Amino acid sequence: MTTVLEVSDIRKSFGGITAVDGVSFDVQEGEILGLIGPNGCGKSTLFNCILGQLTPSGGEVKVDGKVVTGLRPSALNRLGVSRTFQLLQVFPKLSVRENLILAGQEHQGSMLSRLFGPSDAGLTDAADQMIGFFKLDHLATEPAGGLSYGQQKLLDAAMAFMGGPRLVLLDEPAGGVNLTMLADLRERLAAINREKRATFVVIEHNMEFVMSLCSRVMVMAEGKVLAMGRPDQIRANPAVIEAYLGH
Amino acid sequence: MTGLPRYLQIALGFIVIAGLIIVPMNFNRYGLFILSQWAVMTIAAIGLNLTLGYAGQVSLAQGAFVGIGAYAAAIMTSQGLPLISALGVAIVLCFAIGWLLGYPALRVQHHYLAFVTLAFSTLAFLVFRNEDWLTKGIYGISNIPRPSVFGFPTNRPLPFYYLCLGSLGIVSVAVWWLIRSPWGRAFVALRENPIRALSLGIDTRRYTLMAFAIGSALGGVAGTLYAPLTQYIDPVPFNLSLSLDLLMMVIIGGAGFFFGPFLGAMIAVLLPEWLRFTQGYYLMLYAIAVILLLIYSPTGLLGILDRLMAERRTKMASALRAVAQSKLEAAP
Repeated sequence: MTTVLEVSDIRKSFGGITAVDGVSFDVQEGEILGLIGPNGCGKSTLFNCILGQLTPSGGEVKVDGKVVTGLRPSALNRLGVSRTFQLLQVFPKLSVRENLILAGQEHQGSMLSRLFGPSDAGLTDAADQMIGFFKLDHLATEPAGGLSYGQQKLLDAAMAFMGGPRLVLLDEPAGGVNLTMLADLRERLAAINREKRATFVVIEHNMEFVMSLCSRVMVMAEGKVLAMGRPDQIRANPAVIEAYLGH
Repeated sequence: MTGLPRYLQIALGFIVIAGLIIVPMNFNRYGLFILSQWAVMTIAAIGLNLTLGYAGQVSLAQGAFVGIGAYAAAIMTSQGLPLISALGVAIVLCFAIGWLLGYPALRVQHHYLAFVTLAFSTLAFLVFRNEDWLTKGIYGISNIPRPSVFGFPTNRPLPFYYLCLGSLGIVSVAVWWLIRSPWGRAFVALRENPIRALSLGIDTRRYTLMAFAIGSALGGVAGTLYAPLTQYIDPVPFNLSLSLDLLMMVIIGGAGFFFGPFLGAMIAVLLPEWLRFTQGYYLMLYAIAVILLLIYSPTGLLGILDRLMAERRTKMASALRAVAQSKLEAAP
C-alpha cells in the first residue's frame, strides 16, 4: 500500500502558545483517517500547517514521498491535495455549476491557454457529473448564496473533488448539517472513497459520522496525539474517554 | 441584462450601437468632443473596473496611467511617429508599471493599498510637472496631431469620434472575452474569497498582478486617445482628481458589472453638461444626485437592476415551489 501523506514531528507555536506539538502520522492510499479532539486542541492548526496556510515552526510534510512543507496552498492543490474549511467557503455570487468549474479550472492547461480556451475550461460535463453525484441537479444554475446551509456544505465538499485530488482534508464537513443531508454526505464521501480510491483526512465532532466513515481515528489533545487506532479501539480507550468522549 | 431574452439583448445592443454611430452625425464640434471624451473615459473606467470591480484591488492610480498614455502619445506623435506605435509603447509601459504597482497588493489591502496607489499617482504627477526635458512641464505639449487610420484622416471631430468609438468597441470585446474566460472567474474568486481561491489552486499572486497590469494598460490606451482628442496636454488633468473621477464612474455605474463603466462615465461626463441650464447650481445638483444614488444603491446603477432581477427570480422560484407543494398535497 502507498503512503499518500506523511507528517513528521510538526510543531506550530504562536508566541508562547504551542498549538501543535510534535505531531506525526501517515495516511495510506484509499484510507479515511478521522481526526478528533476537544475544541482548541490544534486540529485545524495542524490542517493549516499541512496545507501551507500556516508555516510550521518545525517538522516535515510529505505527499507521495515528496517534501511539501511550506509550499503555497495553490501549489499543493495542483499536486493533488484539496481541502474544505470549517466555515462555509463557497462563492455566493457564482452559480453552483460555476463554483465547480472554478474549483477545477486551474488543473486545465496553462494560464495562457485558459485565457484563449473555452470559457468553461472544458469542465461543464465534469461539473454536471459532480452536481449529479452530490444530488444538486435542480440547483445547477442557482447562485450558491441562495442555497440552504446544508446544500452549501454539499457544494463545498463537491468543490474539493473537482480537480481529481489524491488527498482531501475535510474540516468539519458535517457541522450544522441536518440528519437527512448528513446521511447523504456520508454516503457520497464513502462512494468517492470506494469508487476512486480517494484518500481523506476528516476533522469532525460528530462521533457517529466519524466512527461510521473512518477506517482509522487519531485523537488530539493539547496539541499532541493522544491516541490512534481503529474506531472500536478509540471508543474503548480510557485516555480518550477521559479527555474527550466522556462516559 | 441577464433577465432579458437573448434576442432582445442582441436587438438592444444593435439599437445602442446604431444610435452611437448615427445620432452624433448631427452633433456640433462641442457635442462630439464630449461624446469622444465619454468613449475615452469609458475605456479608462473599464480598466479600473477590471482591477477594482472584478478583482477587488483598490487603485487610486488610474488617472496616472491615463497620463502616461497621453504623454507617450503626445511626445511620440509630436516627433512624427504614428499613434499606433505610441499605443504600443503606452500599453507595454503601463502594463509593466501596473504589474510592479500590483506587488504591494500582495501584502496590503483596502485603504492601505489605496494609499500606496495614491502615492504612485502623486509621483507620476510630479514627473509630468518637473521633468521639463521630456514633458515640457507646466507649459505642456500643444499641437498634438490626430492620426490617419487606414489612410483616412481624423482631424475633423466626427472621424475622431468614430476612432474613439471603434477603440471602445475593440476594448469592450477584449474585456468581455477576458471576464467570460476562466481568468474572469479567478478574478471574482480573488475578490470574494482569496483564501478559498488559493486552496482551489488559483495562483492569487499572479492573478492580482495581472488584474493590476491589464487594468493599467487600459488606462494607457485611454491616454493615447486623450492626447489627440484635446490636442494639448499639461500635468493638471492627470492629478489625483482624475483617478477619483474614474473611481466614481466605476462605483456609480456598478463595480463588477460589465456595463457599469459605460453608465458611470456617461453620468460623470454627460450629466454635468446636461445640468448646465441650472447655471451656477449644476455642480451642486450633480453632487446631490450622486450622494442620493449611492445612499439608495451602494452597488451603483446596475446594482439596482441586479437587485430587481434577483427579487423577480426569488418570486418566480417561490411561486414554482408553491405550485409543486399544492400538487403534492393534492396527490392521493
